[in-house]
Amino acid sequence: MRSLIVNRSVRPYLLLVAIIVALWLLDAGRGRFFTAATAFSVLQEFATIGPIALGLGLSMIIREFDLSVGGMMSFAGCIAVLSGARYPELGVLLAVLFGVLWGLFQGTVMVWLRLGSIGVTLGGLLTLGGLAYVVTGNLSISYPRMDVAMAVNQPVLQLLSPRSIITLAAFLAAAFFMARTRIGRDLYATGSDRRAAMVAGVRTDVILPGVFACSGALAGLGGSLLSYSLAAASGAALTDALVPAVAAAIIGGVSLAGGKGTPIGIIGGVLVLGLLSAGLNAIGTPPAVQDVVTGGVLFLVAIADAVDLDPRLFTIRRYWSDMFLRRDLDKSGQAPAE
Amino acid sequence: MSDQALSAPWRLPLPHSTGGRVLVAIRLAAVLALVGAAATTPGFFTTVSLFSLLNTMSFIGCVAVGMTFITLSGNIMSFALSVTLSTSGIIFIAALPLGLAGAMIAALAFGAALTGVQGAVIGYFRANPIIVSMAALALITGGATLITQGHGVYPQGNATAPLQGRVFGVPMPLFAFIVTVIAAQIVLSFTRFGRQLYMVGSNWRAALAAGLEPARIVLGAYIAAGLCTALAGILMAGRYSSGDMELGIGYDYHAISAVLVGGTAISGGEGSAIRSLIGAFIIAVCQVLLLLHGFSTQVQYLAIGIIVLVVIMLQTLADEA
Repeated sequence: MRSLIVNRSVRPYLLLVAIIVALWLLDAGRGRFFTAATAFSVLQEFATIGPIALGLGLSMIIREFDLSVGGMMSFAGCIAVLSGARYPELGVLLAVLFGVLWGLFQGTVMVWLRLGSIGVTLGGLLTLGGLAYVVTGNLSISYPRMDVAMAVNQPVLQLLSPRSIITLAAFLAAAFFMARTRIGRDLYATGSDRRAAMVAGVRTDVILPGVFACSGALAGLGGSLLSYSLAAASGAALTDALVPAVAAAIIGGVSLAGGKGTPIGIIGGVLVLGLLSAGLNAIGTPPAVQDVVTGGVLFLVAIADAVDLDPRLFTIRRYWSDMFLRRDLDKSGQAPAE
Repeated sequence: MSDQALSAPWRLPLPHSTGGRVLVAIRLAAVLALVGAAATTPGFFTTVSLFSLLNTMSFIGCVAVGMTFITLSGNIMSFALSVTLSTSGIIFIAALPLGLAGAMIAALAFGAALTGVQGAVIGYFRANPIIVSMAALALITGGATLITQGHGVYPQGNATAPLQGRVFGVPMPLFAFIVTVIAAQIVLSFTRFGRQLYMVGSNWRAALAAGLEPARIVLGAYIAAGLCTALAGILMAGRYSSGDMELGIGYDYHAISAVLVGGTAISGGEGSAIRSLIGAFIIAVCQVLLLLHGFSTQVQYLAIGIIVLVVIMLQTLADEA
């Protein structure tokens, strides 16, 4: 049992079950929660956050951090909306291609100039956000193809939609590569101990741009599909998507220290967030509650993953036990030992 | 060492590495180019454009000085300063019945408490600063929206009038900003806390081994950041005579841009409040120049993004041994 709780990929699913039970209790038998509509909107939310959570998660697995996914998502949406009016596939293709190129650029800069990923991708985030603002003229630009907007959100088998199927496929492909191929092993090695990985012959200088290219491609995919489904694109989506994506990856068991986490776990993390938003929405709580819950969970996970948590807990525990010891000694009439 | 023997007292403090010198040259060239562009732009040296420039710079600058403490302490940046700014502004307006001074103290205490909690978690548990600040962003946004129901708050009468006035002929925000920079620089350069902050930022383990308490210093850095940000919130709320969650939108990014453009290292331990002032000034000058040349606000965002990206890439020159 303990091994199940400790297993990072299982943890999000346990949380998922706990949230389902909690929402079911909150709903108090009024049947607003257990509906196909709720499940469908959970999966739609999954399709929105999923791709960037996966990209960010992959970058965290190699112990880097891709902040630029937020800007990439909005700019990719702009690319898709502007270029995909006639051939929607072309829009997605261009968005993904741009994501790959931008990711390669960022990764190469990091390797060549030996820079930290947070700095470079922060610059990337600001630049991409600026590009999205310039392209859209600081307005929301609409996508003329309503038929495409309908098609990507068309329910399939009541629960899925083309968007969520594509997202799921991306996750399964990533899960296969991470678990079954040498690339996956190399990624984990890079994240656990970069120097040891290099010594063992892992081409970390290739892995790094590769992962950022994947992350850019996923953000491009997610952003273009989201813009199609909203039939609009705008520049103002920087942190709106970033915070849930980070939360999903971390709840999904990806460690900030690198080398830990799986795509299957990240699916769980995204589903937890999707369930919170769709479920709380279904039982009629204001959207701000969802912010509070997401923030609270993220805060707790940040503390649980903190580097110095154990020594601090040890100090606190010792302080407590000392206090009780003194009290007991006082009671028994002996002077406390100095 | 022969270098040392040759050095005269009047020698310029040039960096020893080639990369560092190249960086200084690039910075000088960039500043000269900016001055040249400003001098050849008609309408730049008018009082109106200069004052609007300095006013906008003041709000961003105050947050940037706060962010400087966080960056220097080795914790990169905070995503929660924007909401700290907005909520401190709301608290300030809501507490105005206590009198101007009381409201300011309430807002400053509130801002310091918000960032202080994050600083404690980051310092004592060594939690990841990016994640903690994102969690704080979500928590504060959600909490504030639940409490205010998404509405702004407005002062009774003209209680905020003193904040819209001038001190020694200088607009209040600019005056407060300059005082903040001077105070922050004095704290950084001449107090024990300031010197320890640099040490913790450049090497946590060395600081620990030297007998410092890094956790407490990080906590102090976050409290300082909260105070500066709350001051910006007070100034903005005073200027617009309202407090709502819209006040601070985007300020995390503006502030970290100013910090990095000023030349403070993103890895911590190197930089100063004065540099952030310079960074905020350079960004403001760029904005005014673009504006006067007829470019839209959107192009300004893009330009700042590219500048930050380039500055970060150039940082590698300074790190070269």
